[in-house]
Amino acid sequence: MIRAMVAALCLAALALPAGAADYVAIPGGSFASVLPPDGKAALAVVAPFHLRMLPVTNAEFLQFVRANPQWDRGRIASLFADSQYLAQWGGPSNLGAAGRDQPVTRVSWFAAEAFCESEHARLPAWYEFEYAAAADESHADARADAAWRERILDWYARPSTTALPDVGSSPKNFYGAHDVHGLIWEWVGDYASLMISGDNRNQGDPDLLKFCGAGALSTQDRENYAILMRIALLSSLKAADTTANLGFRCARNATGDGT
Amino acid sequence: MKNSTAMLAIFLALTATGSAGGTPATTKAAVAPAAAAAASSARGDFGPPQGEPIHAVLTSPPNVPPPVNRNYPAKVIVELGVVEKEMPISEGVTYTFWTFGGTVPGSFIRIRQGDTVEFHLKNDPNNKMPHNIDLHGVTGPGGGAASSFTAPGHESQFTFKALNQGLYVYHCATAPVGMHVGNGMYGLLLVEPPEGFSPVDHEYYVMQGDFYTTGKYREKGHQPFDMENAIAEKPTYVVFNGAEGSLTGDKAMAAKTHETIRMFVGNGGPNLVSSFHVIGEIFDKVRYEGGTHEQENVQTTLIPAGGAVMVEFHTDVPGSYVLVDHSIFRAFNKGALAILKVDGPEDKLVYSGKEVDSVYLGDRSGPNLEAVTAATKAAQSGNLTLQEQVKAGEALFTGTCSVCHQATGQGLPNVFPPLAKSDYLAADPKRAIGILLHGLTGKVTVNGSEFNSVMPPMNQLNDDEVANILTYVLNSWGNPGGRISAQDVTQVRAAPAAATSKSEH
Amino acid sequence: MKRLGTIVLMIATLALGDAAMAAPALPGGTLPGDSVYQLDIPLTNQDARASKLAELRGSPVLIAMFYTSCKYVCPLIVDSMRSVDKALAPDERARLRVVLVSFDPEHDTPQALKAVAEERHLDLPRWSLDRTDAESVRKLAAVLGVQYRAIEKGDFNHSTVISLLDKDGRIVAHSSRTGEVDADLLAATRRELTTR
Repeated sequence: MIRAMVAALCLAALALPAGAADYVAIPGGSFASVLPPDGKAALAVVAPFHLRMLPVTNAEFLQFVRANPQWDRGRIASLFADSQYLAQWGGPSNLGAAGRDQPVTRVSWFAAEAFCESEHARLPAWYEFEYAAAADESHADARADAAWRERILDWYARPSTTALPDVGSSPKNFYGAHDVHGLIWEWVGDYASLMISGDNRNQGDPDLLKFCGAGALSTQDRENYAILMRIALLSSLKAADTTANLGFRCARNATGDGT
Repeated sequence: MKNSTAMLAIFLALTATGSAGGTPATTKAAVAPAAAAAASSARGDFGPPQGEPIHAVLTSPPNVPPPVNRNYPAKVIVELGVVEKEMPISEGVTYTFWTFGGTVPGSFIRIRQGDTVEFHLKNDPNNKMPHNIDLHGVTGPGGGAASSFTAPGHESQFTFKALNQGLYVYHCATAPVGMHVGNGMYGLLLVEPPEGFSPVDHEYYVMQGDFYTTGKYREKGHQPFDMENAIAEKPTYVVFNGAEGSLTGDKAMAAKTHETIRMFVGNGGPNLVSSFHVIGEIFDKVRYEGGTHEQENVQTTLIPAGGAVMVEFHTDVPGSYVLVDHSIFRAFNKGALAILKVDGPEDKLVYSGKEVDSVYLGDRSGPNLEAVTAATKAAQSGNLTLQEQVKAGEALFTGTCSVCHQATGQGLPNVFPPLAKSDYLAADPKRAIGILLHGLTGKVTVNGSEFNSVMPPMNQLNDDEVANILTYVLNSWGNPGGRISAQDVTQVRAAPAAATSKSEH
Repeated sequence: MKRLGTIVLMIATLALGDAAMAAPALPGGTLPGDSVYQLDIPLTNQDARASKLAELRGSPVLIAMFYTSCKYVCPLIVDSMRSVDKALAPDERARLRVVLVSFDPEHDTPQALKAVAEERHLDLPRWSLDRTDAESVRKLAAVLGVQYRAIEKGDFNHSTVISLLDKDGRIVAHSSRTGEVDADLLAATRRELTTR
């Protein structure tokens, strides 16, 4: 009986841990992805899911590292992160001059995954991210809007020599999530399976020996280069890589469990 | 096959005689000729690298690294960094360039045919974008692009052998390629022929590129890249070495008279082909397309987008020699000009400069315009007669109007309306004043025929002349006669353009 | 109540946080930071025997990823690994482990794995075909640099990577070549088998 109560409490506590991050609900749907699932024209399908409203901050990641010291930059195995992991912090478990509410960057895919697991979540899948990122402030799908594209490209065109602003500085999008564009690049769980060649000109160049199935996926709509560039960045990474402009946020299935 | 054997023979001969210029201590031939030919891609494989690895000296434009001066293939280590940075593209206008080595164009790389290059591409940690490199001188997939795809804060390495000599473009090939190239990610790789080049006094590095911004030409402030304009191939700037004025004024290239110049000129595009010309010079030698053969005595040479050319010329007289893309509006309205300033003593036999500056009266100096002079005098004294006007008008008509309307006033059927017995003129003679002053476009019907042409405004005529011409016309070829005075013309000129006659720009 | 929940949560977090990634305390000295065995994942082989990835530590390992219903490349991957295996001297071979881990835990049950092992006459138990959970598949692929993606009808698009691990689990060589013996991989394997 007590065990059942504890289990129930556990579940309740797990669902909404103290000081929990806010997640926004994103309804499911199908949409024309830049990377069609069949490599040709099939629509991508996204089940309803929850997305963190804001990217993970330095303060939040610090809390995680303090609770899980094997992830601090002094102790982490080189298998899981490169030498620049959390280099912007003052020390392995203190921020130094890094802003508490700045998005955490210089984190590897392994570290991001581990953080998400710690809040009973996971990294979003590419399709989930692409779906959420198609929105602007007032429309679910703003990809045909040249203004949406221009704003994103404007961020790409700005050199990144200034300090990152705090999370939440930009207005929230149609779904209520902030900073999906214009702040940092973000990890996705399946970044490695985007699988286009780094050389843009080899589209539709199937190499049966390299890949089972169909050959490398090609991007469907080359003119939507705002999204293309995000794919290019993610494709250039390995799981242990960190960069100064790359952070992450987590996602959950709509049922509330972590996987 | 024959060529490489010949090369090897020369190489062996040089080694045997112990010639200077960096021959390695061992005089053994690099590899047996037959084996080399079989294993390699024909002409340019001189075997494995010899001697110590060399760290390539890279230079920023417009400078070029010194000649290779080596007669054996070596391993060359090239380290090239990518930096995204904001720089001026014109006076008061900034742009975020993506650069190889911090400059547009990127650093110049100079190696020798047969060299093995260990290429390191570094992507600055402050950059936003992943980048890679495709060197046109590389034989291999993507020209190196697939092997060099690098995330910010990381470095990639790949190795290739430079099998072919020539002047090659290199550029970033990350999606979307046009944007990376359009932001300045290109440069030149020179693969010297084994025997090198003949010595010259100066070598310079120039590269043309087209740039696409949202704002207009010279619109101040920071300008972003504009993909729509890039796709439409409508550049805002067409410049040498990444900015308007990058090679003018105190940044102009310099030389003296009686010197030889070699220029390595590339065209990064992304879109435009260049018609490269140096005003006041003729290219003695052009290795067109950066290849092996030469053309001589060339005024203007084409540089394809993603291509290059080597030009050689010698300087005889001092002055500022302007490099342009001879698609001339690019030079004067988009910035495609650069200067080579040559100093030294004049040589009048080659070029004299301006010798005489005298008045040129054109048609007006001929005897047939005496009538015009007479009429002008008469008008000034207030005694202008109809006869004088007609005579003056006839003289002026011949030089100005008869070209289109014909000396007989017949006009050209379907093209230029007749003036002879013209019902249009008869209906309203004074209307013709406005036509001479403001021109006429659109449909008119004259003597039953429709005309729809363009008559430009006769801006070169003063009031007297207009009056005299019209008086002549009205009194010729069956027209009703009459007289137009200079005052009539002045009045019409002062009034705003009439609604019936549209002026042309 | 809330405090109990928080405490339970903290313990749960610590447990979860540790589970997938902590380095197990195994004999053989400190595990190198770049060893694949830093990744602690469970494996079940074709005989339904459970183990941990890190238990492979102690001898060189040729490791790759595959799935049983793969028609094109996977048989070639097996062949490539076999060609390296065959080229070794018997005493060298005895010290080499060869492991293939499935992308497809849903369909690749121990029985399915066993069927393939028998069909291809694999030298069990030195060779083993293993499955693990979906999250671990992702992490192992990330560590080995294998790209994969589930496409329709239970198929996967995946890259070909055969990795050679040294005794301590560091990746010392890898090959993407199929259809012929990769001479470099063979040479590297020999080197690892002769190092003390």
